[in-house]
Amino acid sequence: MALGPFTASTPLTMGVELELQLVSFSDYDLTASSPDLLHLLEQKPFPGHVTPEITESMIEINSDIHTRHTELLAQLHEVRDTLVRAGEKLNIGICGGGTHPFQKWVERRIFEKPRFKEVSSLYGYLAKQFTVFGQHVHIGTGNGDDALYLLHSLSRYLPHFIALSASSPFVQGGDTLFNSARLNSVFAFPMSGRAPFLLSWDEFADKFFAKMEHTGVIKSMKDFYWDIRPKPEYGTIELRVCDTPLTVERAAALAAYLQALCAYLLDRKEEPPAEDDYLVYNYNRFQACRFGLDGVIVHPKTYESLSLREDILTTLRKMDPYAERLGGSAAVNHLMQVTHVGSDAQYLRDQFASSGSVEGIVDAAVQRFRGRR
Amino acid sequence: MPDFLVISAELAWPLAVLLAWLAGEFIHRWTKLPRISVYGLVGFLCAQAFPDLFATESSSPVIVLANVAFGLILFELGYRVNLNWLRVNPWVAVSGLAEAFATFAVVYLIASAWGMDTMPSLLLASLAMSTSPAGVLRVVNEQRSSGQVTERVLHLVAMNCVLAVLTFKVIVGFWVFNTSGSLTQAISLSAIELVASALLGAVCGMLVPAVLRHLGNLAREGTLAFALVVVILVAITHAYDLSPVLATLAFGLTARHRRVAFTRTQRNFGAIGELLTILLFVFAVSTLDWNNVVNGGMLAFVLLIARFIVKTAGVAAFSQLSGIPWRKGLATGMALAPMSVFVVLLLEQTKNSGVVFIDELAAVAAMTVFMEVLGPIITQRALIWARETPKEE
Repeated sequence: MALGPFTASTPLTMGVELELQLVSFSDYDLTASSPDLLHLLEQKPFPGHVTPEITESMIEINSDIHTRHTELLAQLHEVRDTLVRAGEKLNIGICGGGTHPFQKWVERRIFEKPRFKEVSSLYGYLAKQFTVFGQHVHIGTGNGDDALYLLHSLSRYLPHFIALSASSPFVQGGDTLFNSARLNSVFAFPMSGRAPFLLSWDEFADKFFAKMEHTGVIKSMKDFYWDIRPKPEYGTIELRVCDTPLTVERAAALAAYLQALCAYLLDRKEEPPAEDDYLVYNYNRFQACRFGLDGVIVHPKTYESLSLREDILTTLRKMDPYAERLGGSAAVNHLMQVTHVGSDAQYLRDQFASSGSVEGIVDAAVQRFRGRR
Repeated sequence: MPDFLVISAELAWPLAVLLAWLAGEFIHRWTKLPRISVYGLVGFLCAQAFPDLFATESSSPVIVLANVAFGLILFELGYRVNLNWLRVNPWVAVSGLAEAFATFAVVYLIASAWGMDTMPSLLLASLAMSTSPAGVLRVVNEQRSSGQVTERVLHLVAMNCVLAVLTFKVIVGFWVFNTSGSLTQAISLSAIELVASALLGAVCGMLVPAVLRHLGNLAREGTLAFALVVVILVAITHAYDLSPVLATLAFGLTARHRRVAFTRTQRNFGAIGELLTILLFVFAVSTLDWNNVVNGGMLAFVLLIARFIVKTAGVAAFSQLSGIPWRKGLATGMALAPMSVFVVLLLEQTKNSGVVFIDELAAVAAMTVFMEVLGPIITQRALIWARETPKEE
C-alpha cells in the first residue's frame, strides 16, 4: 500500500505524547496494571487521550492539538491530576522518567493487542526491553516538503532535546553512567536512527517508502523507529528522542521549545540541511545521552567543538522572539533554569544518594510527577 | 532396633521436607498446580503413615521453625500493605470488613444449626474469617502475578488476619471470663496480649529502619536485618505467650510505613525462606488427626462452601464501587480461599495458653486439610482467570 499524501496541517501547532510508568506502591516495581487503570479511566471523560502501550506496565497519554504553551500545559495538568486520582484509587503510582531504575524486563507482560503481539513475536526480547518511556512531540507543518526540511534541519539540535529531557540514568538496578540510557534500547531496533536524507515528499513517498515496502521489511510508517519521523496522516513531524520528563511542566516546555525552533528554522535564515550534517550525528547523539548537559558536540557545518550547555543557552536566547510571538516565553525560561540546576537525570541521581536505594528514586519520581516535590 | 527408631525420628522431618520438595517440583512441572498444595498433601500423608515420628511437642524446634517461617511470610505481607490506600479508596476496606464479618455470621449460624455448642461455634466462625497469608503470598510470588486482584487480595488477607485474631482472642477472653470468673485473667489473655504483640512489632518496625539508615547501603543488610528481627520477635512472642501473627504483621507494616523507601526485601526471603515454607506446610497438617478430619468432614464441607460463597460475594458486591470490574471482584473473593496454616498456628498457640478446643473443633481439622490442598489451587486459578499471571510468550 503506497504511502498516502501528506495531510496539510496548521503550521507550528503542537501535540504531546507521554509514555508513563505504572508503579506498585507495595514495592515500587513496575506493575502490570494498565488494563485495570484503563478500565477505571473509561468510566469518566478523560481530558485528552489515553492508550495502552506495548507492555502492561505502561500507558501513553496524548494531548490535543495546541498553538500555545499555556494551553498545552493546562491540559497536561488536567490529565496528570486525573491520572493521579485514578492511580490512587487502584494503589498504582504513576511517574515519568525514561527508564524504571530496577524493573526486570523479563517480568514484563505484553499488552493483549494484535500490533503489540506482532512486534513481540518479531523482535523477541527487544519488545520487553522496550519498556522505556519517551515523550514524543508533534509539530504541524503545511506540506510534506516543509516536514522533511524541518526534520533534517532539526538533526543539528537533537542533542538539546536529549540532554534537556534526560531522565533515565538507571537501568536494571544500576547507574549506567548515561543521562539517557533509554535511547540505547531504542537503538537496538533495526529501523531506528535517522531518516534517509530526502527533502522532497514525493521522492520520499514514491521512491524510498515504496522501495522499502517492496522489500517486505516495513508495512507502514509505524515500523520506523527514527529519532524524528514524518507523520503524513497527522501532517506533522514527530520528535521521538526525549525521555519522558519527571514533570508535565518540563514536557510542555520541551514542546514549546521545539515549536519555537521550528518557527525559526522555517524562516530559513540558517544554511539548509545537507547529507554531510549526519557525519557527526551519531557522535553528538551519544555525547548528549552519555554526558547530558555536560556533553561536548561537534557543529555539523563548522566542525567546531561546542559545550552542549552553552549551545543550548545560545539557542534558547535566539529563540526568545519566536517564543514570545508564540506564547512560549515561560517555557524558554524553564529550560534556561534546567541548564543551571541540572536535568531530571541529575535529580534522580541525587535522590539515589539521599535515599540510599533504587526504590527511593521511584518514590521521588512518583511524588515529583504529582508536583509535590 | 531402638537405635534405628531414634535415627528415624531424627531423620523424619528432614526427609519429609525433602520428599515434599521433590513431590512439589515434579507435580508442579506436570500439572502446574501450586507447589504448596503438594507440600501439605505430603505432610498429611507422612503424618498419617508414621504418627509417632511426626508427633511434635510445643517446645519442638519444628514448631519454632514453623513459626519463624510464618513470621517471615507475615512480615513480607505487612511490608506490601499500603494503609494509605484503604484511606484513599475506603471501598476496599469496606469490602474486607463486609466479607469477614458476613463469613463470621454465616459460619456461626451453620455451626449452631448443626448442633455445635456456642463457644466452639464462635471460635470456628472467627477462624473462618481468616485467610491464610502463607497460601496466598506463596501463590502470588510463584505465579509472579500483578494487577488489582493481586493487590487487593494481599490487603484483604492482612485485614482478615487481624480481624480473625482480634475476634478469636476476644472470644477466648470471654470464655476465660465465663469459666474462671476472673476479669483480670480474661483481659490478660486477650486485650493485653493483643496490644503487647502489636506494640512489640511496631517498635521493631520503627527501630530497624532507623538502625538500617545509619548503616548506609541497604540492599543486603535490609533483608538480613528484617529476617533476624522476625526470628527474635517469634522467639519473644513464643516465650511470653504473645501473638506472633500480630507482632510480625505489625513489624512489616510499620517498617514499610516508616521508611522513605527502603530496598525491596527479597521475595520469599530467598532460598532459606522457601525451605522454611516447605517445613511450615508439611508441619501444619501433620498436627491434625485423621479421626477429627473424618468426624468433622461433612460440616467442614458445608462450611467451606458457605465461606467461599460469602467471601466471593462479599468482595464482588463492592467491586464496581471500588473501581474494578465484576470479574475482577469475583476473582479477588475467590482468591481468598486458603485458610489452613494460619488456623493451625493460632490453635497451637492458644493450646499453649491452656485453652484446648481442638477436639471440639473437628470441623477445623477437616477444613484445614481440604483448604491446605485446595485453597492455593483456587487462588492460583482466580489469578489466572483475572489475567494477572504472565502467559508463555
